Amino acid sequence: MNIAAMNNVVYGYDGVPVIHNVSLRIESGEFIAVSGPNGAAKSTLLRLLLGLVKPWSGEVSYAPDFNRKAIGYLPQQAASFNSGFPSKVIELVRSGCYPKLGWFRRFGAEQHALVEWSLRRAGMWEYRSRKIGGLSGGQKQKACIARVMAQQPDLVVLDEPVTGMDAGSRLQFYQWMRDYVSADARRTVLMVTHGLDEARPYLDRVIRLEGKEEDCQCFTSNSCSAPFGQEVLLH
Amino acid sequence: MLHFEFMQRAFWAGGLIALIAPILGVFLVLRRQSLMADTLSHVSMAGVALGSVLHMSPVLAGFLFAVIGGIAIEQLRRSYRAYSEVPVAIIMTSGLALAMVLMSMKSNLSKSFSSYLFGSIVAVNPLQLMIIAAVTAGGLIFFAVLRRHLYTLTFDEETAAVGGVQVKLMTFAFAVMTGLIVAAAMPIVGVLLVSALIVLPSAFALRFAGGFLQACILAVCAGLTGVFGGLSASYYTDTPPGGTIALTLLLILLAGIAVQKVGQRRRQRHLGEAVRAVPYASRQVMSTSYQEEETNVS
Repeated sequence: MNIAAMNNVVYGYDGVPVIHNVSLRIESGEFIAVSGPNGAAKSTLLRLLLGLVKPWSGEVSYAPDFNRKAIGYLPQQAASFNSGFPSKVIELVRSGCYPKLGWFRRFGAEQHALVEWSLRRAGMWEYRSRKIGGLSGGQKQKACIARVMAQQPDLVVLDEPVTGMDAGSRLQFYQWMRDYVSADARRTVLMVTHGLDEARPYLDRVIRLEGKEEDCQCFTSNSCSAPFGQEVLLH
Repeated sequence: MLHFEFMQRAFWAGGLIALIAPILGVFLVLRRQSLMADTLSHVSMAGVALGSVLHMSPVLAGFLFAVIGGIAIEQLRRSYRAYSEVPVAIIMTSGLALAMVLMSMKSNLSKSFSSYLFGSIVAVNPLQLMIIAAVTAGGLIFFAVLRRHLYTLTFDEETAAVGGVQVKLMTFAFAVMTGLIVAAAMPIVGVLLVSALIVLPSAFALRFAGGFLQACILAVCAGLTGVFGGLSASYYTDTPPGGTIALTLLLILLAGIAVQKVGQRRRQRHLGEAVRAVPYASRQVMSTSYQEEETNVS
């Protein structure tokens, strides 16, 4: 089922377009990677999709029955927050449940269970009472991922989620996302990554953004083969 | 000292503002806007001056200007994302300049202005006390009701926006709240020291707090101790209350830093000895294998 689409979207910075006429569709039940060289506007693509910036032209649309509050977002360098932020890991992960709870609804047994599940899968349960400022970069990243997942989003949007994580944690993380998508047909995970080679076995589809060099209009990508259907190319 | 009615009022006013100002301070410090309080108090002073020039209520004009100043900073912050202190500098100087020019228009004003600059908590009148009580009550409700949104917003604005927080509306409301609390705190410690009441307790609390709620509670405790301690000290030593309160808060902060440093050093020494006592074989081993690294590269 189609949950979101971008149609002929153009967007840029300081009058220079970086996204040229991009169209793509996000289906439910997919684990998708967005890849491409530095400056290929991968993060911008996510921000456009999330509505954080408005396209110059073209449109971003969601399926009418899709709940916009069921989106979880991990920005790039989410873990580089103020190291003095006075929060325990578990407090931060709990805040992931807030969007669904709204202002007042009680933090119930269901939420506590979700927080524990999320922390355990992220491998951060043992660190739940530590202050986030005192964690290592990779641990902060895992805590932030746990926060997003505690929300149980239908659409998970992650911008370079494995930054700073060791090899074992990265594979665990890919497996977690694979399991998450496979467990419920309504769920989708979309992540920007540079580690396409190690993530590939877990993915359903790769969206490849090419850099905007004039002489690099490579419409055939050398590394994408049969299992990866749709590709997006900038020109 | 509490049998004087003015001292009772002073304690009430100080106690009420110490309930709310430190909580605001925690958020301001975490949003890297700790100078916002100082700025708004200068802007508010321009409002007070304008109020007296135009024969309006100076108190009301002061509140109005503080709120407008808060909103202006919030707007400017969006256009200077990378330098969040620039809008603060712009608004602070504008406020001070406006206050100076307006004050010169009414030469007899400058005397009563010293009470605005340095505070006059013992001269708080019942109306001011009521305003302070209302602002405190409103502020506590604001922070209690919106605590989840404010936490998310303070952590990261974009994540908050995706999570359904009305970021623009919330930052606007926060700016208004900041203006109100700053204007309410002005008579207590004065324009020049409002920042002390807002920032020092949270600077203390953020060193010790393990969690967010804990930080707010600790900051309020430090604020209350500083205000009551400072007021009492100023009564017995006959020093200006505003300055004495600020100095007491500073002492609390310095004592906190000292205690933390000593504790840390002692713990480190203790742990260092414990680690050294572990037999050599079971220590953490650092090894470098050039061979392996080379094979990995090729």
